[in-house]
Amino acid sequence: MIIIGEKINATLDAVKTIILNRDTKSLLDLTQKQTAAGADYIDVNIGTGVGSQADEIRSIKWAIESIQGHVATPLCIDSADPKVIAAGLETLNGKPSMINSAKAEKHSLEAVVPLAAQHDSLLIALAMDEDGIANTVDGRLPSCEKICNACQKYGIPFENLYIDPLVMPISTDINSGLVTLETIFAIKKSFPGAKTVTGLSNVSYGLPQRRRLNIAFLHMCIFAGLDAAIVDPLDQELTAAIKTAEVLAGKDRYCRRYMRAYRT
Amino acid sequence: MNTSELLEKIAFNVIQGRVEAEDDGFDPGLEGRPAVTELVTEALNQNIDPKKILMESLTESMETVGEKFEKKEYLIPDMLASAECVGVAMDLLAPHLIKAGVESKGKFVIATVKGDLHDIGKNIVAIMLKGAGYQVIDLGTDVSVDRITTTVKEKQASFLGLSALLTTTMRVMGEVVQKLKEEGIRDRVKVLVGGAPTSIEFARKIGADAYCKDAFQALEIMKK
Repeated sequence: MIIIGEKINATLDAVKTIILNRDTKSLLDLTQKQTAAGADYIDVNIGTGVGSQADEIRSIKWAIESIQGHVATPLCIDSADPKVIAAGLETLNGKPSMINSAKAEKHSLEAVVPLAAQHDSLLIALAMDEDGIANTVDGRLPSCEKICNACQKYGIPFENLYIDPLVMPISTDINSGLVTLETIFAIKKSFPGAKTVTGLSNVSYGLPQRRRLNIAFLHMCIFAGLDAAIVDPLDQELTAAIKTAEVLAGKDRYCRRYMRAYRT
Repeated sequence: MNTSELLEKIAFNVIQGRVEAEDDGFDPGLEGRPAVTELVTEALNQNIDPKKILMESLTESMETVGEKFEKKEYLIPDMLASAECVGVAMDLLAPHLIKAGVESKGKFVIATVKGDLHDIGKNIVAIMLKGAGYQVIDLGTDVSVDRITTTVKEKQASFLGLSALLTTTMRVMGEVVQKLKEEGIRDRVKVLVGGAPTSIEFARKIGADAYCKDAFQALEIMKK
């Protein structure tokens, strides 16, 4: 399971301050902590919501220039704006990267998927289109198909594609968790080679004891075949849950990672 | 890579339990580096003496694995990973060993006795013996007394290893020894017994030649 560290996200007040103040030291610290905790990719979201597109482009360039050279862990450029993604990829200048994300909407796919092809980047794409997020598996699969078609059109191998089946709160629709799980199963079956990624924690929105729900849901997603998760790598209970679920689901040859975690 | 480097690398990867390059090992960060399959193939391409690979890379490293297991540094999956490495390496080496005229140290029939389906320990012993140069005939689990003694007779095996994990099935071992006597071949084969409920006293009582606490003790005893 690939862990994408979620902590550099400008929607969090502390991170927003770091970005607005161009606080290189704190940004680097936040990166290094996640790397040390075992993150495979570091998500970088600089969308503070207060500036223009030009401001965001300056911010992503600053963030990437601040981090690269100090940390070997590849970055995941997180923006809804293809121009910001493009600026980030150019700054990375060919280093391994991930894009977060495209939607299954026509204009999003046409703007973002070619970027992934051009920069040989891994691509996260969300199972939602012009009609929004469907609340059934059958409703989400056409979006997944649009994504896969776009990848084929622009020459991106399915191995580089991470489809986010999307997670909605069970507090508002009791079937939400099940729809995500079954969508993961369906993606694996319908688009062999394509991978899956998700953020998980939305599932517990509006309920008490969210951590318990998130961890139980993570276990189930891993059983369903989830390949990557956007999570806090510093949350040891969560990273332990990943190792526990993976060893039980037969994804950890000779229990290596599970036992190594126990030793250290 | 020169010969000694290559042999050392094979040994290292057996201890790490890495069959193929993509595998991770006991220690972190080894993914992607050549492992036992690639290295043994490379060694054979370089015409390194297969017997040397067997003795210096496989047998010795499994002894290290045994020590680590004794010290509880290694757990069951670690040992199985290393055992798989030896099994894979032996499959690669076997035709070359035969070509080089290396004789096996003898035929070793091994089985879990009738009524018992436990095979983890038995399988480890089988692979370890293979790695040590014996020709192993593994009859599997739940094997009848007749089938065991017939195989020993037909294959003219020098050694017989019997395994049982249940107090209710261990008595079958005694029946096997008895049957060997009746068939008049008891003197031609050394009988080793093992498994959780067995002991030195038990081995003595049923007239076996040796009791092995685990796979590594089995190898020690075989050396003698």
